[in-house]
Amino acid sequence: MGFLSRLSSEYKRISIVGMAKNAGKTTTLNHLIEEAMDEGMVLGITSTGRDGENTDLVTGTEKPKVYLDSGTIVSVPVQLYDLSDAGLEILRMTRYSTALGQVMLCRVVESGYVQVAGPVNTVDHKKMCDEMIDLGAELILIDGAVDRKSIAGPGTSDAIVLATGAVLSRNLKKVVEETLHIVGLYQLPRVPDGSLRKRIEAGAVKEKIMLIKGEETRMLELKTSLTAGKFLDESIDEGTGWVYLPGAMTQGVIDDIHPAKLKQISFVLKDPTKIFIGATSWQQLRKRGLKVFVLENIKIAAITVNPYAPSGYSFEHKDLLTAMQKAVGNIPVIDVKSVF
Amino acid sequence: MQLSNSKTKNEIGFDHVVNNINVVTPFGKRRIKEIQPFMPGDEGYLEHTLSQLEVTLDMVEREPRKVDILREVFMEMKDNTFTIAHSANNILTVVELFEIKTLLLQMTAIRDNLISSTIPLPEEFQLHDLLELLNVLDPGKDRLNTFYIYDVFSEKLTLRRREKRKIELDLRKVQKERRRKVEADYGISMTPKFELPVSKADRALIEKVKAIPELMLSEEDYITATFTLKRDETVDLFQMALDEINEAIDEEELAVQKKLSGRIASYRSLLEENCNRIGELDFNLAKALYAKENHCVKPDITTEYLIEINEGRQLVVEEILKRKGKAFCPVTIDLKEGVTCITGANMGGKTVTLKLVGLCAMLAQHGFFVPCSQAKIGLSSYIHILIGDSQNLQRGLSSFGSEMEELRVMLEKSKDRTLLLFDELASGTNPAEGLALTKSLVDYLDKKPYISLITTHFDHITGMGVVRNLQVRGLADANFQNLAREIRYANKRERIEVIGKYMDYRLFEVDKDQEIPKDALNIAGMLGISSEIIEKAKKYMEDRNHEK
Repeated sequence: MGFLSRLSSEYKRISIVGMAKNAGKTTTLNHLIEEAMDEGMVLGITSTGRDGENTDLVTGTEKPKVYLDSGTIVSVPVQLYDLSDAGLEILRMTRYSTALGQVMLCRVVESGYVQVAGPVNTVDHKKMCDEMIDLGAELILIDGAVDRKSIAGPGTSDAIVLATGAVLSRNLKKVVEETLHIVGLYQLPRVPDGSLRKRIEAGAVKEKIMLIKGEETRMLELKTSLTAGKFLDESIDEGTGWVYLPGAMTQGVIDDIHPAKLKQISFVLKDPTKIFIGATSWQQLRKRGLKVFVLENIKIAAITVNPYAPSGYSFEHKDLLTAMQKAVGNIPVIDVKSVF
Repeated sequence: MQLSNSKTKNEIGFDHVVNNINVVTPFGKRRIKEIQPFMPGDEGYLEHTLSQLEVTLDMVEREPRKVDILREVFMEMKDNTFTIAHSANNILTVVELFEIKTLLLQMTAIRDNLISSTIPLPEEFQLHDLLELLNVLDPGKDRLNTFYIYDVFSEKLTLRRREKRKIELDLRKVQKERRRKVEADYGISMTPKFELPVSKADRALIEKVKAIPELMLSEEDYITATFTLKRDETVDLFQMALDEINEAIDEEELAVQKKLSGRIASYRSLLEENCNRIGELDFNLAKALYAKENHCVKPDITTEYLIEINEGRQLVVEEILKRKGKAFCPVTIDLKEGVTCITGANMGGKTVTLKLVGLCAMLAQHGFFVPCSQAKIGLSSYIHILIGDSQNLQRGLSSFGSEMEELRVMLEKSKDRTLLLFDELASGTNPAEGLALTKSLVDYLDKKPYISLITTHFDHITGMGVVRNLQVRGLADANFQNLAREIRYANKRERIEVIGKYMDYRLFEVDKDQEIPKDALNIAGMLGISSEIIEKAKKYMEDRNHEK
């Protein structure tokens, strides 16, 4: 069974997420598309931006161009249709719109290059993916419109393929370390199903910091946790067990909390993309007793490595592949520039 | 000449109804914006419009499934009138052709649905048969809502595309053959993409590969050098052939697009006519659905000038009451040329009745059904409601000043067959002058061919004899013991609602000399104004009656 067949037996929608710009996201996408051609699988190809940010709406124009084989189902906005070099049969005009016009679902009739774009809104995106599955796509690959990790947020896809590579650092060890950090964050433990989870989920809709002490739940009148560190520290008293943060978790917030209190509590976040703390600091904080749970974590279906950096240096293929595979355990690692 | 101003349409609730007519197609939305009243003399046309609505309502009631299907198709429709017009002098893009095909499939679905209906809808809603054009865009008759410049559109295109695939295949074959030869000749192995990456550490290999004339260096960094197959004459020839054929394909595709656009353009007027008819049908279905939902009936249109409403309801107020789980108390009223006054208790619904009359008249005159059990309506040339307006106060005009300003305008605009509705005229000035002004206005209106309806608290403005006097029954028949008990246990906010519950909003005709019942003090007392004030006020009333 081919690599993609295995993926499609577990997941329907997979996002390709780059660790950084030029980590090889598009290369990864092209690699998976070639795999699909070899395995004779019908792919659905689309892309997304992140909801709620103007810049993404604007840079929605940053459209990946990919070579697609006939049979592939693809989302193309009206204004990009004529720019495609492939022959596209229009199957459906959707109700989702982008900065480049309404999204159409097309089937590639004559292979060639296509400029892909999809809706920015997560809910629309999910519905559109369902439509693509209706039209016969066996596995949907989602290319983020912007190279940013936060698009990995659960909801857009069932799992991600994390693209990493030489671009992160000239030091191979550092590349592995940074990647491992993200893998670790994405796989943070979920708050287990049960009464505690139900209480947190019920409170989370209010988008406020929530303190849980036994049977008692308290909301803080603070919307953002960015500047809330001191205030939060004062509010944590003896017996406070869980702290839900609705927004971003940054170094600053944690630093304001008394070390003894930090050991006592467990943080809960909506998902791992809310963490904005680097690998080194994260390790130090863990040593100081930081415990973090998430409501939803992110499944990593595979990691792709690109040994080439655009600035001109590269790693030995085998070295990077081996080091990465050793570090991440049982997540499959693929060299997108592999020659074999 | 306009039937009324926008304030009147808004105050009586006409805008509310129009905003709740749920048209779904872009054509229906355009239709509803063009809504125009029928003026006196247009009774025949109005009758025709109302009977169309009657048939549509019949379909809504007897064939709900068909209506659902129609509305489903409607919801998917997009405004393609620009594309249709565009086809006249332009070549449509593939996306535009797709949209026209979609439109044609939708029209076919609507047409088939209407033809198979057991209730034949009027000719004005039936769509022209455009099967011929659909077959042009869907020659395979698959009737699938997909589009591409398919091979079936042009034999030439089919051949060209086949040729292109053959060249691509041949090119790949040649390349593969060359790779095989190079691999065999030099004992190397290249990727399926015809690349050969070599580690720079392997100096010997680098030198060896560099010496191979069929290969060239394509990419290099300090660790790896990547070589590819050099192009040769055969490859270049293939490439040239490919470029040529691609150009020919593009040309032929454009020719197909041009041909199809031309055919669409030749059907332009029928397509546009169908869009308008869909708009008309959508609008009528939406009106019928609204009429069903809100229990509206077809009004009788008469050439006489009169307004008769049986068990009428004011839809805006009814909706508010419904949300609170209460029902609207229907009001029956007959109006003829001349002046009619409504008097009676505070909170007795006089103003609502005024709006109700305006709403029924306005709806009927725009071809809508009317919220009542029966209505007979003569058309007006002008309708105006004069009612307190907080906007004018914000503009800095006193309530009396702005009222007089509006009164002047409305009297200027009035002509034959005018419906004038006055809410508590001159209540913002001193009672003596207010009464005098009202009386003289009544005298003035009574001589005109208008239907005037006035709510007032003034006694005896109806003294001239010709004027009819209607009174709200109010709390006259209410069980005051029960009312008092309920009030006692109600909190402040509930008190108003308790009074509403005991209020009888119906109207009855009274003798013109009869005094207006004085319920104001009772109601003020029930609403919690201290008894010290109420008792003193009652005493003042007694003194006043003695003086008389």
